[in-house]
Amino acid sequence: MKIHHFLSLFSTYFLVDGVNIEDRAGQFFSSGHTNNWAVLVCTSRFWFNYRHVANTLSVYRSVKRLGIPDSHIVLMLADDMACNHRNPKPATVFSHKNMELNVYGDDVEVDYRGYEVTVENFLRILTGRLPPSTPRSKRLLSDDRSNILIYLTGHGGNGFLKFQDSEEISNVELADAFEQMWQKRRYNELLFIIDTCQGASMYERFYSPNLMALASSQVGEDSLSHQPDLAIGVHLMDRYTFYLLEFLEDIHPASKTNMNDLFKVCPKSQCVSTPGHRTDLFLRDPGSVLITDFFGSVRKVELTMETINLTDPIEQLESAESGELQKEMHTYADQLPVSEIIHQKPKQKDWHPPDGFILGLWTLILLVFFQTYGVKHLKHIF
Amino acid sequence: MAAPLTLLLLVAVTVRAALFRSSLSELISERVEVVSPLTAWKRVIEGLALLDLGVSPYSGDVFHETPLTIYLFHFLVDYAEVTFMVSVAGSSVFSDYLFRKQKFALEADRYPLDCLELIRSPKEMYYIPLKVAMFYLLNPFTILSCVAKSTCGLNNAIIALFILSTIKGNVLLSAIFLSLATYQSIYPLTLSALLTSVPLSCLINLCVTQWICVFLFWWFIVQYAFMYLGSLFVIICLSFFLLGSWDYLPSVYGFILSVPDLTPNIGLFWYFFAEMFEHFRLFFLCVFQINVFFYTIPLSIKLKEHPVFLIFMQLAVISIFKSYPTVGDISLYMAFLPVWSHLHRFLRNIFLVSCVLLACSALFPVLWHLWIYAGSANSNFYYAITLLFNVAQILLVSDYFYAFLRREHHLTYGLYLKRKDGSEATLVLK
Repeated sequence: MKIHHFLSLFSTYFLVDGVNIEDRAGQFFSSGHTNNWAVLVCTSRFWFNYRHVANTLSVYRSVKRLGIPDSHIVLMLADDMACNHRNPKPATVFSHKNMELNVYGDDVEVDYRGYEVTVENFLRILTGRLPPSTPRSKRLLSDDRSNILIYLTGHGGNGFLKFQDSEEISNVELADAFEQMWQKRRYNELLFIIDTCQGASMYERFYSPNLMALASSQVGEDSLSHQPDLAIGVHLMDRYTFYLLEFLEDIHPASKTNMNDLFKVCPKSQCVSTPGHRTDLFLRDPGSVLITDFFGSVRKVELTMETINLTDPIEQLESAESGELQKEMHTYADQLPVSEIIHQKPKQKDWHPPDGFILGLWTLILLVFFQTYGVKHLKHIF
Repeated sequence: MAAPLTLLLLVAVTVRAALFRSSLSELISERVEVVSPLTAWKRVIEGLALLDLGVSPYSGDVFHETPLTIYLFHFLVDYAEVTFMVSVAGSSVFSDYLFRKQKFALEADRYPLDCLELIRSPKEMYYIPLKVAMFYLLNPFTILSCVAKSTCGLNNAIIALFILSTIKGNVLLSAIFLSLATYQSIYPLTLSALLTSVPLSCLINLCVTQWICVFLFWWFIVQYAFMYLGSLFVIICLSFFLLGSWDYLPSVYGFILSVPDLTPNIGLFWYFFAEMFEHFRLFFLCVFQINVFFYTIPLSIKLKEHPVFLIFMQLAVISIFKSYPTVGDISLYMAFLPVWSHLHRFLRNIFLVSCVLLACSALFPVLWHLWIYAGSANSNFYYAITLLFNVAQILLVSDYFYAFLRREHHLTYGLYLKRKDGSEATLVLK
């Protein structure tokens, strides 16, 4: 691991000489995010849904290993499997058969547990509308330079995800919550991974920019579980997350693996269902997005012996193919049109009945009047 | 006669003005017994605001007034209180004028001698117009609906104008006001049954032979129908030109006929339709709506010589069985009651009816509070009071009908009935 680090640093150093220091500085500053957050949610309870808790804990483990601290992870587990009285190995949650990998160490911090995992709490975390008494560990304190990873697992269907066997969140609600996050500038880029049956339906309705989504199965397909363990008696993991975990185990903080490799995780031969992904709302090319942009909290460090003059604004480094692709500039909506409010004039009544109507009506009224009371009044008018 | 009327008007205006300025006006304008989705002032303001924003006021099931009302209130929205007071005062003045001018053909020699006590003396009749005006202006129901600025007051004014012009014999004006009243809410259509009874009394002099009589009668009906339908058509087309679209037709008439809004009110529709299965909804809607129109033909056949009583009965039937009744509709037909004060000796249930009406009016706000705010009652309680209120009204109306018919019978056959052998007989209603 360390040699790999050293070698990669070394290679970067040699690459440096060929490239201008200003371009490199531009590349350094062109990365959009400065901090990483993760919201990992398991929505099912009961012992036979052991695998959903194991899924979530596996992703938690990877994310923590790649550098995101507990203060930046919101972990929501709907049930306690480690201390469940049906667990033959208490205080453990295994993700591999034969108990090879215990994902429930003694450094797991669960923020929302048991019945606190509800649709309302989940949406409140995302939008930030929590009561003032909520502690920091239960809040998603992201800003407009945060990259957020959201992982959901549980039982789902076409357009919904079931929480706690009693309520559900719909894809429309989720899309609207993300739009609220965008308008409140709560994320820079967001990666949404869902491992449920018919998971692709959950990202169909997204409409906010900078969202990338992955799902374990398409609409009409079920996501299947991986292995039952005969000692514990339940299925330990779902297939998609199992292969995702295998993939992530090979990632380290300095790796340059990008999203296109993530899309290839768990092909149909292994997963039985067809994983899907959605990148049309994402501004950058997925090939240029590193896995560690979302799964890890990587601080970019470049060692250089030269001084760089930072007085001129650093221009964005253009990639070779940007000639054909027109990048649409996304800007935040003007949330408070102050100039209009300051100079607001009192509201005028804008609607007036059409002239033809008034003319017709009063002609009729006059006609009826003269009909009933005789024409002799006419000479008084004219 | 002018002085007491002016005094009455002054008193009524003072009461209303005092209530307008007090804090009760907001409270009253939200009461469901006083305002309905059709007549609420809040909805008128909402519709006008939507219009100012450039949106059709009929979008969104808020506004159910006719376009002519939009036109009227567009200019009068700041003077709303005055408008309503004027319309209420106007209705009472019209009815006052009406009853003063009404000629009761008293041919004393037509009736048996012992019926003299049944016939009203001119002295009694002198005060009837004032009493009618008083009943309308000082009725708590009218005051409530005026303070709530419900557009029921305008509807009542139009109906009063219609009655005035019918009794005065002005065919064109009566057709026009009837079409205006029908345009506002569909139910005054039943008042067109009047035209079977009025021409008979008017044309009785012109009948030389029977065929000419029949011909004149039908010619009159055709004329009237033509004027009525023509003016209705003209008004509907004019309303199209106000907003440039036909959306008001489903919003106003579709709303009245299909009753989509089931806010509780003092009528009979809301409770039934709240608990009905969709499959049967159309059927029951037809049943309920036909119920309003059903009594027209029998009543007009029976009462073809008594147009004023026919109007009273029709108005009562409309205001009990219409889809969104309010207390303003009730106050209109109750204003007619002094006209038949001479029937008091034949009324059988008047004590019971008045007690029930008073008790129900007092219980409406109580049970509403218990249902909505305290949560200790439910809709059944409120509907029970509604039912009872309507039953009392029906009883009142049928009682007056009975008394009227009985008086007619006595006028024909004598007050103290004797059997063939001379012993006293009693009259039994079968």
